[in-house]
Amino acid sequence: MALSRVRAMPTASGVGLRLPHLTDVVATRPSAAWFEIHPENFLANPHAAELLVDIARDYLISVHSVGVSIGSASGIDRLHLARVRALVDRIDPILVSGHLAWSTHAGEYLNDLLPLPYTKETLRIVSAHIDEVQDTLGQRYLVENPSSYVGFSTSTMTEVEFLSELVHRTDCRLLCDVSNIYLSAHNLGFDRDSYLAELPAEAIAELHLGGFTPEPEDGGGEVLVDTHGGGIAEPVWAFYARALEHFGPKPTLIEWDNDVPVLDVILAEAAAADAVLQSTFAPKPRQTSASHALAS
Amino acid sequence: MPSLLEIQRQVRDAVVAHEAGGALLARLAGGRDPAARLAIHRHHYQASLTRALLDKFPAVSWLAGERFAIAAAQAFVRAHPPAAPCIAEYGADYADFLASRAGAERLPYLRALAELEWHVGKVSIAVDRAPLTIESLASIDASELPDHRLTLQGGLRYCTADWPIDDLLKQYLSGAAPERYAFSAADVQLEIRGARGEFRIERLAEADFVFRSAVADGVTIGAAAERALDINATFDPGQALLRLVSAGLVIAIDKPETSA
Repeated sequence: MALSRVRAMPTASGVGLRLPHLTDVVATRPSAAWFEIHPENFLANPHAAELLVDIARDYLISVHSVGVSIGSASGIDRLHLARVRALVDRIDPILVSGHLAWSTHAGEYLNDLLPLPYTKETLRIVSAHIDEVQDTLGQRYLVENPSSYVGFSTSTMTEVEFLSELVHRTDCRLLCDVSNIYLSAHNLGFDRDSYLAELPAEAIAELHLGGFTPEPEDGGGEVLVDTHGGGIAEPVWAFYARALEHFGPKPTLIEWDNDVPVLDVILAEAAAADAVLQSTFAPKPRQTSASHALAS
Repeated sequence: MPSLLEIQRQVRDAVVAHEAGGALLARLAGGRDPAARLAIHRHHYQASLTRALLDKFPAVSWLAGERFAIAAAQAFVRAHPPAAPCIAEYGADYADFLASRAGAERLPYLRALAELEWHVGKVSIAVDRAPLTIESLASIDASELPDHRLTLQGGLRYCTADWPIDDLLKQYLSGAAPERYAFSAADVQLEIRGARGEFRIERLAEADFVFRSAVADGVTIGAAAERALDINATFDPGQALLRLVSAGLVIAIDKPETSA
Protein backbone atom coordinates (compact mmCIF):
# COMPACT_ATOMS: atom_id res chain seq x y z
CA MET A 1 0.00 0.00 0.00
CA ALA A 2 1.07 3.58 -0.53
CA LEU A 3 2.33 5.14 2.68
CA SER A 4 2.43 8.77 1.74
CA ARG A 5 1.30 10.02 5.11
CA VAL A 6 3.97 11.65 7.18
CA ARG A 7 2.34 15.01 7.51
CA ALA A 8 4.09 18.33 7.83
CA MET A 9 5.23 18.90 11.39
CA PRO A 10 6.20 22.15 13.01
CA THR A 11 9.90 22.42 13.70
CA ALA A 12 9.08 23.96 17.07
CA SER A 13 9.51 21.59 19.98
CA GLY A 14 6.65 19.68 21.57
CA VAL A 15 6.31 18.01 24.94
CA GLY A 16 5.10 14.67 26.20
CA LEU A 17 1.54 14.98 27.50
CA ARG A 18 1.16 12.85 30.62
CA LEU A 19 -1.95 12.09 32.65
CA PRO A 20 -1.25 14.57 35.51
CA HIS A 21 -1.41 17.46 33.02
CA LEU A 22 -4.56 16.55 31.10
CA THR A 23 -7.10 18.56 33.05
CA ASP A 24 -4.77 21.59 33.20
CA VAL A 25 -4.27 21.53 29.44
CA VAL A 26 -8.01 21.26 28.84
CA ALA A 27 -8.69 24.14 31.21
CA THR A 28 -5.85 26.54 30.37
CA ARG A 29 -4.88 25.71 26.76
CA PRO A 30 -1.18 26.51 27.31
CA SER A 31 1.03 27.64 24.48
CA ALA A 32 2.59 24.45 23.13
CA ALA A 33 3.64 23.62 19.58
CA TRP A 34 2.41 20.01 19.84
CA PHE A 35 1.97 17.15 22.26
CA GLU A 36 3.06 13.55 22.17
CA ILE A 37 1.02 10.90 23.96
CA HIS A 38 1.50 7.25 24.85
CA PRO A 39 -1.65 5.50 23.64
CA GLU A 40 -1.28 2.91 26.40
CA ASN A 41 -2.22 5.63 28.92
CA PHE A 42 -5.55 6.23 27.19
CA LEU A 43 -6.79 2.93 25.77
CA ALA A 44 -8.13 1.66 29.09
CA ASN A 45 -8.95 5.06 30.55
CA PRO A 46 -12.13 6.48 28.97
CA HIS A 47 -11.97 9.72 30.97
CA ALA A 48 -8.40 10.42 29.87
CA ALA A 49 -9.32 9.54 26.28
CA GLU A 50 -12.24 11.97 26.42
CA LEU A 51 -9.93 14.77 27.58
CA LEU A 52 -7.40 13.85 24.90
CA VAL A 53 -10.01 14.08 22.15
CA ASP A 54 -10.86 17.55 23.44
CA ILE A 55 -7.18 18.56 23.43
CA ALA A 56 -6.69 17.14 19.93
CA ARG A 57 -9.18 19.67 18.60
CA ASP A 58 -6.72 22.49 19.34
CA TYR A 59 -3.27 20.87 19.28
CA LEU A 60 -1.25 18.70 16.96
CA ILE A 61 -0.81 15.27 18.53
CA SER A 62 1.85 12.65 17.93
CA VAL A 63 1.17 9.08 19.07
CA HIS A 64 4.16 7.24 20.54
CA SER A 65 3.45 3.65 21.48
CA VAL A 66 5.38 1.84 24.20
CA GLY A 67 3.46 -1.42 23.76
CA VAL A 68 3.31 -2.37 20.09
CA SER A 69 6.54 -4.37 20.50
CA ILE A 70 7.71 -4.73 16.90
CA GLY A 71 10.65 -6.82 18.11
CA SER A 72 8.65 -9.65 19.69
CA ALA A 73 9.48 -13.00 18.12
CA SER A 74 6.20 -14.39 19.46
CA GLY A 75 4.31 -11.85 17.36
CA ILE A 76 2.80 -8.46 17.99
CA ASP A 77 -0.38 -8.11 19.99
CA ARG A 78 -2.95 -7.56 17.25
CA LEU A 79 -5.71 -6.70 19.69
CA HIS A 80 -3.53 -3.96 21.13
CA LEU A 81 -2.62 -2.72 17.67
CA ALA A 82 -6.31 -2.58 16.77
CA ARG A 83 -6.96 -0.49 19.89
CA VAL A 84 -4.14 1.87 18.93
CA ARG A 85 -5.69 2.18 15.48
CA ALA A 86 -9.06 3.04 17.03
CA LEU A 87 -7.45 5.83 19.08
CA VAL A 88 -5.57 7.07 16.01
CA ASP A 89 -8.91 7.31 14.21
CA ARG A 90 -10.30 9.44 17.04
CA ILE A 91 -7.48 11.98 17.32
CA ASP A 92 -5.95 12.02 13.82
CA PRO A 93 -2.33 12.28 14.96
CA ILE A 94 0.34 13.93 12.90
CA LEU A 95 2.85 11.11 13.56
CA VAL A 96 2.75 7.57 14.96
CA SER A 97 5.91 6.05 16.37
CA GLY A 98 7.33 3.28 18.54
CA HIS A 99 10.59 1.65 19.55
CA LEU A 100 13.14 -0.72 18.11
CA ALA A 101 12.67 -3.06 21.06
CA TRP A 102 10.42 -5.77 22.39
CA SER A 103 8.18 -5.81 25.44
CA THR A 104 5.81 -8.75 25.02
CA HIS A 105 6.58 -12.45 25.11
CA ALA A 106 4.03 -15.22 24.75
CA GLY A 107 1.13 -13.15 25.99
CA GLU A 108 3.01 -11.41 28.79
CA TYR A 109 3.78 -7.69 28.78
CA LEU A 110 7.08 -6.92 30.48
CA ASN A 111 6.57 -3.14 30.84
CA ASP A 112 10.01 -2.27 29.50
CA LEU A 113 11.76 -1.76 26.20
CA LEU A 114 14.06 -4.75 25.95
CA PRO A 115 17.14 -5.10 23.71
CA LEU A 116 17.35 -7.04 20.47
CA PRO A 117 20.26 -8.86 18.85
CA TYR A 118 20.84 -7.32 15.43
CA THR A 119 20.78 -10.36 13.17
CA LYS A 120 19.16 -11.36 9.88
CA GLU A 121 16.46 -13.26 11.78
CA THR A 122 15.61 -10.19 13.90
CA LEU A 123 15.61 -8.03 10.79
CA ARG A 124 13.13 -10.34 9.09
CA ILE A 125 10.82 -10.40 12.13
CA VAL A 126 10.94 -6.67 12.83
CA SER A 127 10.45 -5.78 9.16
CA ALA A 128 7.38 -8.00 8.94
CA HIS A 129 5.96 -6.39 12.06
CA ILE A 130 6.56 -2.87 10.80
CA ASP A 131 4.78 -3.82 7.57
CA GLU A 132 1.85 -5.10 9.64
CA VAL A 133 1.78 -1.98 11.82
CA GLN A 134 1.88 0.34 8.82
CA ASP A 135 -0.82 -1.64 7.03
CA THR A 136 -3.03 -1.59 10.12
CA LEU A 137 -2.52 2.10 10.84
CA GLY A 138 -2.60 3.15 7.20
CA GLN A 139 0.37 5.40 7.68
CA ARG A 140 4.12 5.35 8.09
CA TYR A 141 5.51 4.27 11.41
CA LEU A 142 8.48 6.02 12.95
CA VAL A 143 10.95 3.66 14.62
CA GLU A 144 12.99 5.03 17.53
CA ASN A 145 16.57 4.00 18.30
CA PRO A 146 16.65 2.39 21.75
CA SER A 147 18.39 3.35 24.96
CA SER A 148 20.75 0.48 25.72
CA TYR A 149 22.54 -0.88 28.76
CA VAL A 150 23.44 -4.22 27.27
CA GLY A 151 23.80 -5.64 23.77
CA PHE A 152 24.39 -9.04 22.20
CA SER A 153 27.76 -10.39 21.17
CA THR A 154 25.87 -12.44 18.57
CA SER A 155 24.75 -9.33 16.64
CA THR A 156 25.96 -9.43 13.06
CA MET A 157 25.26 -5.80 12.22
CA THR A 158 25.39 -2.48 14.01
CA GLU A 159 22.28 -0.73 15.25
CA VAL A 160 22.61 1.93 12.55
CA GLU A 161 22.98 -0.73 9.85
CA PHE A 162 19.90 -2.45 11.26
CA LEU A 163 17.83 0.76 11.32
CA SER A 164 18.95 1.69 7.80
CA GLU A 165 17.95 -1.74 6.51
CA LEU A 166 14.53 -1.38 8.19
CA VAL A 167 14.00 1.89 6.33
CA HIS A 168 15.07 0.24 3.08
CA ARG A 169 12.80 -2.79 3.55
CA THR A 170 9.67 -1.18 4.97
CA ASP A 171 9.79 2.49 3.92
CA CYS A 172 9.32 3.39 7.58
CA ARG A 173 10.80 6.57 9.02
CA LEU A 174 13.10 7.02 11.99
CA LEU A 175 12.63 8.82 15.25
CA CYS A 176 16.12 9.75 16.39
CA ASP A 177 16.29 9.93 20.17
CA VAL A 178 19.36 12.10 20.64
CA SER A 179 19.54 11.35 24.36
CA ASN A 180 19.37 7.62 23.64
CA ILE A 181 22.39 7.85 21.32
CA TYR A 182 24.29 9.77 23.99
CA LEU A 183 23.29 7.30 26.70
CA SER A 184 23.87 4.13 24.66
CA ALA A 185 27.24 5.36 23.38
CA HIS A 186 28.31 5.94 26.97
CA ASN A 187 26.95 2.59 28.19
CA LEU A 188 28.13 0.41 25.31
CA GLY A 189 31.27 2.30 24.39
CA PHE A 190 30.62 3.31 20.80
CA ASP A 191 31.30 6.64 19.13
CA ARG A 192 28.15 8.77 19.20
CA ASP A 193 29.26 11.12 16.45
CA SER A 194 29.90 8.23 14.07
CA TYR A 195 26.46 6.80 14.94
CA LEU A 196 24.87 10.15 14.15
CA ALA A 197 26.78 10.52 10.91
CA GLU A 198 25.84 7.04 9.69
CA LEU A 199 22.08 7.36 10.30
CA PRO A 200 20.13 7.89 7.06
CA ALA A 201 19.36 11.61 7.46
CA GLU A 202 16.62 11.56 4.83
CA ALA A 203 14.62 9.08 6.97
CA ILE A 204 14.69 11.11 10.19
CA ALA A 205 11.23 12.55 10.84
CA GLU A 206 11.43 13.48 14.52
CA LEU A 207 13.91 13.93 17.35
CA HIS A 208 13.55 13.09 21.03
CA LEU A 209 15.30 14.53 24.06
CA GLY A 210 14.90 13.10 27.55
CA GLY A 211 16.57 13.10 30.92
CA PHE A 212 18.65 10.22 32.25
CA THR A 213 20.13 9.29 35.59
CA PRO A 214 23.78 8.29 36.16
CA GLU A 215 24.10 5.32 38.50
CA PRO A 216 27.41 4.03 39.89
CA GLU A 217 28.53 0.58 38.82
CA ASP A 218 30.45 -2.00 40.80
CA GLY A 219 34.09 -1.75 39.85
CA GLY A 220 33.89 1.92 39.02
CA GLY A 221 32.30 4.10 36.40
CA GLU A 222 28.64 4.73 35.94
CA VAL A 223 25.81 3.58 33.76
CA LEU A 224 23.31 6.10 32.39
CA VAL A 225 19.74 4.96 33.02
CA ASP A 226 16.97 6.26 30.75
CA THR A 227 14.65 7.48 33.49
CA HIS A 228 13.01 10.48 31.78
CA GLY A 229 12.92 11.86 35.28
CA GLY A 230 14.60 15.24 34.88
CA GLY A 231 15.77 17.94 32.53
CA ILE A 232 18.09 17.50 29.57
CA ALA A 233 21.75 17.07 30.59
CA GLU A 234 24.08 19.86 29.50
CA PRO A 235 26.29 17.78 27.16
CA VAL A 236 23.19 16.43 25.42
CA TRP A 237 22.22 19.95 24.38
CA ALA A 238 25.54 20.27 22.52
CA PHE A 239 25.01 16.86 20.94
CA TYR A 240 21.48 17.90 19.98
CA ALA A 241 22.93 20.91 18.13
CA ARG A 242 25.21 18.53 16.19
CA ALA A 243 22.18 16.34 15.36
CA LEU A 244 20.33 19.38 14.02
CA GLU A 245 23.34 20.34 11.91
CA HIS A 246 23.37 16.83 10.50
CA PHE A 247 19.65 16.28 9.95
CA GLY A 248 18.38 19.83 9.47
CA PRO A 249 15.48 21.29 11.46
CA LYS A 250 13.26 18.52 12.81
CA PRO A 251 10.36 18.51 15.26
CA THR A 252 11.79 17.75 18.67
CA LEU A 253 10.00 16.25 21.63
CA ILE A 254 10.87 16.71 25.30
CA GLU A 255 10.12 13.51 27.25
CA TRP A 256 9.51 13.64 30.99
CA ASP A 257 7.75 10.59 32.40
CA ASN A 258 8.86 10.22 36.03
CA ASP A 259 8.81 12.75 38.85
CA VAL A 260 6.70 14.77 36.43
CA PRO A 261 6.87 18.49 37.27
CA VAL A 262 4.31 21.16 36.46
CA LEU A 263 3.84 21.55 32.72
CA ASP A 264 5.59 24.93 32.63
CA VAL A 265 8.88 23.27 33.58
CA ILE A 266 8.64 20.89 30.63
CA LEU A 267 7.55 23.68 28.30
CA ALA A 268 10.66 25.60 29.39
CA GLU A 269 12.79 22.65 28.23
CA ALA A 270 10.95 22.78 24.89
CA ALA A 271 11.74 26.50 24.67
CA ALA A 272 15.39 25.68 25.35
CA ALA A 273 15.31 23.16 22.49
CA ASP A 274 13.81 25.84 20.24
CA ALA A 275 16.63 28.20 21.22
CA VAL A 276 19.23 25.58 20.25
CA LEU A 277 17.46 25.11 16.93
CA GLN A 278 17.36 28.85 16.27
CA SER A 279 20.99 29.39 17.15
CA THR A 280 22.03 26.40 15.05
CA PHE A 281 20.30 27.77 11.98
CA ALA A 282 20.68 31.48 12.61
CA PRO A 283 22.14 33.30 9.60
CA LYS A 284 25.88 33.56 10.02
CA PRO A 285 27.21 37.15 9.91
CA ARG A 286 28.35 37.90 6.36
CA GLN A 287 31.99 38.94 6.02
CA THR A 288 32.06 42.52 4.80
CA SER A 289 34.85 44.34 3.07
CA ALA A 290 35.24 46.37 6.24
CA SER A 291 35.76 43.24 8.29
CA HIS A 292 38.21 42.04 5.65
CA ALA A 293 40.02 45.28 6.03
CA LEU A 294 40.05 44.93 9.79
CA ALA A 295 41.28 41.38 9.55
CA SER A 296 44.06 42.17 7.16
CA MET B 1 22.73 -19.96 17.75
CA PRO B 2 19.36 -19.97 19.53
CA SER B 3 16.37 -18.42 17.84
CA LEU B 4 15.18 -14.93 18.74
CA LEU B 5 12.17 -16.54 20.41
CA GLU B 6 14.44 -18.61 22.65
CA ILE B 7 16.61 -15.60 23.49
CA GLN B 8 13.50 -13.62 24.43
CA ARG B 9 12.28 -16.46 26.62
CA GLN B 10 15.61 -16.38 28.44
CA VAL B 11 15.47 -12.59 28.85
CA ARG B 12 11.87 -12.88 30.05
CA ASP B 13 12.96 -15.35 32.74
CA ALA B 14 15.79 -13.04 33.78
CA VAL B 15 13.50 -10.00 34.01
CA VAL B 16 10.40 -11.58 35.57
CA ALA B 17 11.63 -14.64 37.44
CA HIS B 18 15.17 -13.39 38.24
CA GLU B 19 16.64 -16.43 36.50
CA ALA B 20 19.42 -15.29 34.19
CA GLY B 21 20.94 -18.46 32.77
CA GLY B 22 24.56 -18.85 31.79
CA ALA B 23 23.66 -19.36 28.13
CA LEU B 24 22.04 -15.93 28.00
CA LEU B 25 24.77 -14.18 29.96
CA ALA B 26 27.40 -15.61 27.62
CA ARG B 27 25.72 -13.83 24.70
CA LEU B 28 25.44 -10.42 26.36
CA ALA B 29 27.87 -7.57 25.94
CA GLY B 30 28.05 -4.23 27.68
CA GLY B 31 30.07 -2.83 30.55
CA ARG B 32 32.22 -4.84 32.88
CA ASP B 33 29.28 -6.91 34.06
CA PRO B 34 26.52 -7.46 31.47
CA ALA B 35 24.48 -9.35 34.06
CA ALA B 36 24.33 -6.19 36.17
CA ARG B 37 23.24 -4.23 33.10
CA LEU B 38 20.47 -6.76 32.41
CA ALA B 39 19.40 -6.31 36.02
CA ILE B 40 18.50 -2.68 35.19
CA HIS B 41 15.61 -4.08 33.14
CA ARG B 42 14.67 -6.49 35.94
CA HIS B 43 14.65 -3.63 38.42
CA HIS B 44 12.52 -1.48 36.13
CA TYR B 45 10.00 -4.26 35.60
CA GLN B 46 9.73 -4.89 39.33
CA ALA B 47 9.75 -1.29 40.50
CA SER B 48 7.37 0.16 37.90
CA LEU B 49 4.70 -2.52 38.32
CA THR B 50 5.03 -2.63 42.10
CA ARG B 51 4.52 1.13 42.18
CA ALA B 52 1.50 0.79 39.88
CA LEU B 53 -0.13 -1.70 42.27
CA LEU B 54 0.63 0.37 45.36
CA ASP B 55 -0.88 3.41 43.65
CA LYS B 56 -4.02 1.47 42.72
CA PHE B 57 -4.54 -0.05 46.16
CA PRO B 58 -3.58 2.65 48.69
CA ALA B 59 -6.22 1.52 51.20
CA VAL B 60 -4.64 -1.95 51.21
CA SER B 61 -1.35 -0.37 52.32
CA TRP B 62 -3.22 1.67 54.93
CA LEU B 63 -4.98 -1.39 56.30
CA ALA B 64 -2.30 -4.06 56.04
CA GLY B 65 0.77 -1.89 56.45
CA GLU B 66 3.30 -0.74 53.89
CA ARG B 67 5.67 -3.64 54.49
CA PHE B 68 2.99 -6.25 53.79
CA ALA B 69 1.68 -4.30 50.79
CA ILE B 70 5.10 -3.88 49.15
CA ALA B 71 6.03 -7.54 49.65
CA ALA B 72 2.66 -8.65 48.26
CA ALA B 73 2.92 -6.36 45.24
CA GLN B 74 6.45 -7.54 44.48
CA ALA B 75 5.38 -11.18 44.71
CA PHE B 76 2.36 -10.54 42.48
CA VAL B 77 4.53 -8.83 39.87
CA ARG B 78 6.82 -11.87 39.76
CA ALA B 79 3.98 -14.38 39.61
CA HIS B 80 1.57 -12.51 37.37
CA PRO B 81 3.10 -10.39 34.58
CA PRO B 82 0.63 -8.08 32.86
CA ALA B 83 -1.23 -9.58 29.92
CA ALA B 84 -1.55 -6.30 28.04
CA PRO B 85 0.37 -3.04 27.65
CA CYS B 86 -2.26 -0.89 29.38
CA ILE B 87 -1.21 -0.82 33.02
CA ALA B 88 -4.65 0.55 33.97
CA GLU B 89 -5.87 -2.99 33.32
CA TYR B 90 -3.24 -4.62 35.52
CA GLY B 91 -4.28 -5.98 38.91
CA ALA B 92 -7.79 -7.31 38.26
CA ASP B 93 -6.93 -10.51 40.17
CA TYR B 94 -4.78 -8.84 42.82
CA ALA B 95 -7.48 -9.05 45.50
CA ASP B 96 -7.55 -12.86 45.36
CA PHE B 97 -3.75 -12.96 45.41
CA LEU B 98 -3.65 -10.75 48.50
CA ALA B 99 -6.00 -13.08 50.34
CA SER B 100 -3.66 -16.00 49.70
CA ARG B 101 -0.64 -14.28 51.25
CA ALA B 102 0.71 -15.34 54.61
CA GLY B 103 -0.47 -12.77 57.15
CA ALA B 104 -3.71 -12.01 55.30
CA GLU B 105 -5.62 -14.37 57.61
CA ARG B 106 -5.53 -11.73 60.34
CA LEU B 107 -7.43 -9.41 57.98
CA PRO B 108 -10.40 -11.45 56.70
CA TYR B 109 -11.80 -8.35 54.97
CA LEU B 110 -8.59 -7.55 53.04
CA ARG B 111 -9.65 -9.31 49.83
CA ALA B 112 -13.02 -7.56 49.78
CA LEU B 113 -11.47 -4.16 50.46
CA ALA B 114 -8.97 -4.68 47.63
CA GLU B 115 -11.79 -5.72 45.30
CA LEU B 116 -13.70 -2.58 46.25
CA GLU B 117 -10.62 -0.44 45.57
CA TRP B 118 -10.26 -2.05 42.17
CA HIS B 119 -13.88 -1.23 41.32
CA VAL B 120 -13.51 2.34 42.60
CA GLY B 121 -10.45 2.78 40.38
CA LYS B 122 -12.31 1.49 37.34
CA VAL B 123 -15.47 3.56 37.77
CA SER B 124 -13.47 6.71 38.52
CA ILE B 125 -11.94 6.68 35.02
CA ALA B 126 -15.25 5.91 33.32
CA VAL B 127 -17.27 8.34 31.26
CA ASP B 128 -21.02 8.42 31.68
CA ARG B 129 -23.23 8.68 28.63
CA ALA B 130 -26.62 10.27 28.08
CA PRO B 131 -29.07 8.13 30.06
CA LEU B 132 -32.23 6.60 28.71
CA THR B 133 -35.38 8.45 29.73
CA ILE B 134 -38.54 6.96 31.18
CA GLU B 135 -40.37 8.23 28.09
CA SER B 136 -38.17 6.18 25.78
CA LEU B 137 -39.38 3.01 27.51
CA ALA B 138 -42.99 3.94 26.80
CA SER B 139 -42.64 2.95 23.15
CA ILE B 140 -42.00 -0.66 24.15
CA ASP B 141 -45.00 -2.93 24.63
CA ALA B 142 -45.19 -3.69 28.37
CA SER B 143 -45.68 -7.38 27.67
CA GLU B 144 -42.37 -7.46 25.78
CA LEU B 145 -40.34 -5.47 28.30
CA PRO B 146 -39.23 -8.58 30.27
CA ASP B 147 -37.55 -9.93 27.12
CA HIS B 148 -35.34 -6.84 26.80
CA ARG B 149 -31.82 -6.26 28.09
CA LEU B 150 -30.46 -3.03 29.46
CA THR B 151 -27.04 -1.52 28.92
CA LEU B 152 -25.88 0.30 32.03
CA GLN B 153 -23.41 3.15 32.44
CA GLY B 154 -19.77 2.09 32.06
CA GLY B 155 -18.94 3.39 35.51
CA LEU B 156 -21.10 0.92 37.43
CA ARG B 157 -19.91 -2.09 39.41
CA TYR B 158 -21.64 -4.41 41.87
CA CYS B 159 -20.00 -6.42 44.62
CA THR B 160 -20.90 -8.17 47.84
CA ALA B 161 -18.85 -8.61 51.00
CA ASP B 162 -19.11 -10.29 54.39
CA TRP B 163 -17.81 -7.12 56.02
CA PRO B 164 -18.89 -3.47 55.76
CA ILE B 165 -15.89 -2.60 53.58
CA ASP B 166 -17.57 0.57 52.35
CA ASP B 167 -17.29 1.94 55.88
CA LEU B 168 -13.68 0.85 55.99
CA LEU B 169 -12.90 2.65 52.75
CA LYS B 170 -14.66 5.79 53.97
CA GLN B 171 -12.55 5.60 57.13
CA TYR B 172 -9.40 5.47 55.00
CA LEU B 173 -10.54 8.32 52.76
CA SER B 174 -11.43 10.49 55.76
CA GLY B 175 -7.82 10.46 56.87
CA ALA B 176 -8.98 10.05 60.45
CA ALA B 177 -7.02 7.80 62.76
CA PRO B 178 -9.28 6.92 65.69
CA GLU B 179 -7.74 5.11 68.65
CA ARG B 180 -10.47 2.48 68.43
CA TYR B 181 -12.54 1.45 65.45
CA ALA B 182 -15.30 -1.10 65.94
CA PHE B 183 -15.59 -3.33 62.90
CA SER B 184 -17.92 -6.31 62.84
CA ALA B 185 -18.85 -8.77 60.16
CA ALA B 186 -22.00 -7.83 58.23
CA ASP B 187 -23.21 -8.73 54.76
CA VAL B 188 -23.29 -5.76 52.41
CA GLN B 189 -24.39 -5.48 48.79
CA LEU B 190 -22.72 -2.54 47.14
CA GLU B 191 -23.28 -0.46 44.03
CA ILE B 192 -20.20 1.54 43.01
CA ARG B 193 -20.91 4.32 40.57
CA GLY B 194 -18.48 6.84 39.13
CA ALA B 195 -17.23 8.87 36.21
CA ARG B 196 -14.60 11.49 35.42
CA GLY B 197 -12.67 11.23 38.66
CA GLU B 198 -15.69 10.98 40.97
CA PHE B 199 -17.29 7.96 42.62
CA ARG B 200 -19.87 7.00 45.21
CA ILE B 201 -20.76 3.78 46.95
CA GLU B 202 -24.27 2.83 48.00
CA ARG B 203 -25.64 -0.15 49.87
CA LEU B 204 -28.56 -1.87 48.18
CA ALA B 205 -31.26 -4.11 49.57
CA GLU B 206 -30.51 -7.71 48.62
CA ALA B 207 -33.29 -8.11 46.03
CA ASP B 208 -32.45 -4.77 44.39
CA PHE B 209 -28.80 -5.81 44.30
CA VAL B 210 -29.62 -9.14 42.66
CA PHE B 211 -31.83 -7.41 40.09
CA ARG B 212 -29.31 -4.71 39.20
CA SER B 213 -26.25 -6.95 39.13
CA ALA B 214 -28.11 -9.45 36.91
CA VAL B 215 -29.09 -6.65 34.54
CA ALA B 216 -25.48 -5.47 34.54
CA ASP B 217 -24.41 -9.01 33.58
CA GLY B 218 -26.63 -8.84 30.49
CA VAL B 219 -29.55 -10.87 31.80
CA THR B 220 -32.99 -9.89 30.45
CA ILE B 221 -35.20 -7.71 32.62
CA GLY B 222 -37.61 -10.60 33.15
CA ALA B 223 -34.93 -13.08 34.18
CA ALA B 224 -33.31 -10.51 36.49
CA ALA B 225 -36.70 -9.87 38.11
CA GLU B 226 -37.23 -13.60 38.67
CA ARG B 227 -33.88 -13.82 40.47
CA ALA B 228 -34.86 -10.92 42.68
CA LEU B 229 -38.28 -12.41 43.39
CA ASP B 230 -36.55 -15.62 44.51
CA ILE B 231 -34.87 -13.52 47.19
CA ASN B 232 -37.87 -11.42 48.14
CA ALA B 233 -41.40 -12.33 47.07
CA THR B 234 -42.54 -8.71 47.56
CA PHE B 235 -39.95 -7.35 45.12
CA ASP B 236 -41.60 -5.01 42.61
CA PRO B 237 -39.84 -5.30 39.23
CA GLY B 238 -41.64 -2.30 37.75
CA GLN B 239 -40.57 0.00 40.57
CA ALA B 240 -37.05 -1.40 40.48
CA LEU B 241 -36.80 -0.70 36.75
CA LEU B 242 -38.20 2.77 37.26
CA ARG B 243 -35.62 3.53 39.95
CA LEU B 244 -32.81 2.24 37.76
CA VAL B 245 -33.82 4.41 34.82
CA SER B 246 -34.63 7.45 36.97
CA ALA B 247 -31.16 7.26 38.51
CA GLY B 248 -29.67 7.73 35.04
CA LEU B 249 -27.99 4.34 35.11
CA VAL B 250 -29.45 2.93 31.87
CA ILE B 251 -28.05 4.04 28.55
CA ALA B 252 -29.63 1.59 26.11
CA ILE B 253 -32.24 -1.13 25.79
CA ASP B 254 -32.43 -3.91 23.25
CA LYS B 255 -34.16 -7.20 22.66
CA PRO B 256 -31.78 -10.10 22.12
CA GLU B 257 -32.28 -12.26 19.07
CA THR B 258 -33.87 -15.55 20.01
CA SER B 259 -32.16 -18.59 18.54
CA ALA B 260 -34.29 -20.55 16.04
